[in-house]
Amino acid sequence: MDYLGLFPVFYVPDVGSAWLMGLTGTIHIMASHTSVGAAMLFAFLAYKAYKEDRDDLYDYMKRYGMFLLIFSYVIGSITGPGIWYTATAASPRGISALIHNFVWVWATEWVFFIYEVIAVFALVYFIGKIDKKTHLKLTLTFAIASVGTLALIIGIISFMMWPGNDAFYNTGSASDAFFGINTFPHMFLRIGFMIMMSGVIGLIISSAMKRENVELSNELTRKMGFVGLLGGFIALFFFMWYISTLPANAEAVLGLTLDSIVLNRIILAILFSLYFFLAILKPQWIGKYLAVIMMFVIGIVGVWPGEKLRESMRKPYVAGQYIYSNQIISRDVPGKGVKSEVEVVAAKGLLGVDPWVPDRLRTITPENKLEVGEYLTKRACSNCHSLEKGGKYRSMVMLIETKLPGTDKETIKNYMHVIGTGAIPYMPKIALPDEEYDAMAEWIAAQVNN
Amino acid sequence: MDATILNVLRDPAGVPFYPVVFQGLYILTWALHAAFVLLALGSFGLSLYGSMKQKHDANWKILNPHLIQTGKLSISLLILLGIAPLLFTQVIYDAGWYVANTLSGAWVFIFIYALITAYLMFYWYYYANKRNGGGGTFVGLISFLIIVFCGVLMHNFAVVSISTPDQWMAMYAPNGVIDTSGLNLKWDVVRLAFLVSLSIPVLGIFLQNYSDFVSTKSDYSADFVSFTRKLGTKFAVVGLLISAVLFVLWMMQVGLLMNIVSLATIVSVVILLLMAMFLKNSYITTLWLVVVALLISGIRELIRYNIMSGLGYDLYGYPVNLEIPTIAMFLSTFVILGFTGVAYILTMAWKVGKLENGATLDGTKSAAVTKLGNITLGLFVLWMLIYFAWGMVILFKNTL
Repeated sequence: MDYLGLFPVFYVPDVGSAWLMGLTGTIHIMASHTSVGAAMLFAFLAYKAYKEDRDDLYDYMKRYGMFLLIFSYVIGSITGPGIWYTATAASPRGISALIHNFVWVWATEWVFFIYEVIAVFALVYFIGKIDKKTHLKLTLTFAIASVGTLALIIGIISFMMWPGNDAFYNTGSASDAFFGINTFPHMFLRIGFMIMMSGVIGLIISSAMKRENVELSNELTRKMGFVGLLGGFIALFFFMWYISTLPANAEAVLGLTLDSIVLNRIILAILFSLYFFLAILKPQWIGKYLAVIMMFVIGIVGVWPGEKLRESMRKPYVAGQYIYSNQIISRDVPGKGVKSEVEVVAAKGLLGVDPWVPDRLRTITPENKLEVGEYLTKRACSNCHSLEKGGKYRSMVMLIETKLPGTDKETIKNYMHVIGTGAIPYMPKIALPDEEYDAMAEWIAAQVNN
Repeated sequence: MDATILNVLRDPAGVPFYPVVFQGLYILTWALHAAFVLLALGSFGLSLYGSMKQKHDANWKILNPHLIQTGKLSISLLILLGIAPLLFTQVIYDAGWYVANTLSGAWVFIFIYALITAYLMFYWYYYANKRNGGGGTFVGLISFLIIVFCGVLMHNFAVVSISTPDQWMAMYAPNGVIDTSGLNLKWDVVRLAFLVSLSIPVLGIFLQNYSDFVSTKSDYSADFVSFTRKLGTKFAVVGLLISAVLFVLWMMQVGLLMNIVSLATIVSVVILLLMAMFLKNSYITTLWLVVVALLISGIRELIRYNIMSGLGYDLYGYPVNLEIPTIAMFLSTFVILGFTGVAYILTMAWKVGKLENGATLDGTKSAAVTKLGNITLGLFVLWMLIYFAWGMVILFKNTL
């Protein structure tokens, strides 16, 4: 048989396996972005403490550092590989493509990450145990290492969107894949957000210091307000540049939700501008509870929808615009010797190329038709849609009920044929044999009309 | 399912360098990762006992906070150092790794959040113990058990990944009915028991190192130094004997007892045992422990290689698409920047550790700290400059 290198399907009912990845990703972004932003902030504070010979700033850095050790270097350092693990379970071939292209980049990031973590322990625990100049030097290396981790991962996640030109497909070179057209705008967009996050977290720490030292608390709350504003401005500025470097399929998805995104971003920008201005003008009004609430606001209202959007904009691909979300390779990559699998899937069907189909399901019969239909739907659709009625992750049932003219099997099947022609830019252009569409449509119709 | 499927599951993009290099890096980095897994288990486990003793025993009062601190740092380092073997294994053994991750997908998710919970609870334990000068044992125990559970899950991923394709199919579609829940679990008790047992001798040798380190400081009594040394020796000797028996059982189970690597490991363990018993300078014992760790890592890899090649997996025939610029970046960063940077911080840490009675280290007066600091900072700046220059050149080449 002509098997393709597909892996077993892992699917979580109602939410979908990719949703688990989104959850882990959001937590990781909060933690990791804070750590890089805080590293830059620490460099600034260590410089100030050295230049102005101020011991009080070390107290703030120590508290911030202890928070960082737990928030960023426990939660962040576990959810980092955590995204990787959950992404592997959800999209094994997508992760495999990234690993086989960028393993040395990732390994280099690992070196930076090791330095970063050892350095953060050192600079927090060495406060008061080493002189200011030595501490400043250590903090500067920590800051650059921390930014280095971003510099290394950004090319990989930018490539997930697209390389931006054909060079990679022809050469197969990791450099051509890594330095795509949206790598740098993406990097500076994130740097802006990281600086802003360091301000958001910094406000929690400074507002919690009121009881011991109100003057220092107010001074640092003001500073964090400025830091937050600066970061927010940089993020917004580069967001606009980043948007202009997206591929056509991303623009199509963006077009569907543009109004709500713009509204969301405007509300967030106003809300956080007010918050940061309040910190600058009336630092005494920023209490620790408000600061903690604002951290959750940015996570739930800012990062979670932002990451969902970024993930949606990649559709129908999962990596480099050559692997579809359902793990089928969509095009040739001559530089790597990779061949498109779309044609063989169209000719033999998923049942003919999936090595994980049990023998009793390989041929569709009236007895197994629904069972085969369910499996094929999971294989082809579950990476982007939850399949159950009431599902939370781009529910297929809800989309059919609201977007199609009918919910009967034939309407669903006709729509699948349309998808197969590539008429919808954010859906994979994969045509399946009619009997497979038929089995899938029958099972889907049963779910919708259940 | 035919075993040739293993070759079909390889990534069509090939590997970016020769498989044997990834294999070597895997053995090296897994040994590093395992060292901190074992130290974390050992120091954390012993600290639970110590947390009950430290309020009434002067020696435990000094030792236990240090054990907890060691556990805290070790957990962080084991996570960090675990990333590299994870990378290298999925480059060359992608078939097994990705199948294991999908077949046990739900456990993958549970693993992540269990580990976060365990580590957060560890911090709780750390602060509770610090605040009260002891105690926090119950929270610590729960955290410890969750960490052991995470270890069992990680063991499961390894065991599933070296199962046969027929066994995979039986997990995925038992009796021909497909199960996409990702709830498969599988373990090998002897292998797991051996690996976990190593935490005892690793803890023992660490305690000997600790004893040697504090013996040169005037604020630690001779009684305390002797207490930690004896404790360390006891753990090292008893632990090595237990591990040796389990190792022999494991090798008999996999049919590798008479293999050269297996025999070398047994001889090395005997030498390690003698060193732990009689050698005064425990730092040399630690260097030998590194050799033993590499041999054990090598045995793990040998077992996997034998199983996979026996099934028809052609590791060295994996198509290679050479990727020179990024491996050059990795090697230069790893060897030059990595070693210099870590040497810089370790030098500082050593000197800070030797400070007495609240003294402060003036790094500007230490030639080693100053030079290493300047070189590390310079290398980081240079690295960033090269990165941006490289990016600009590629972008201009591909877009203009």
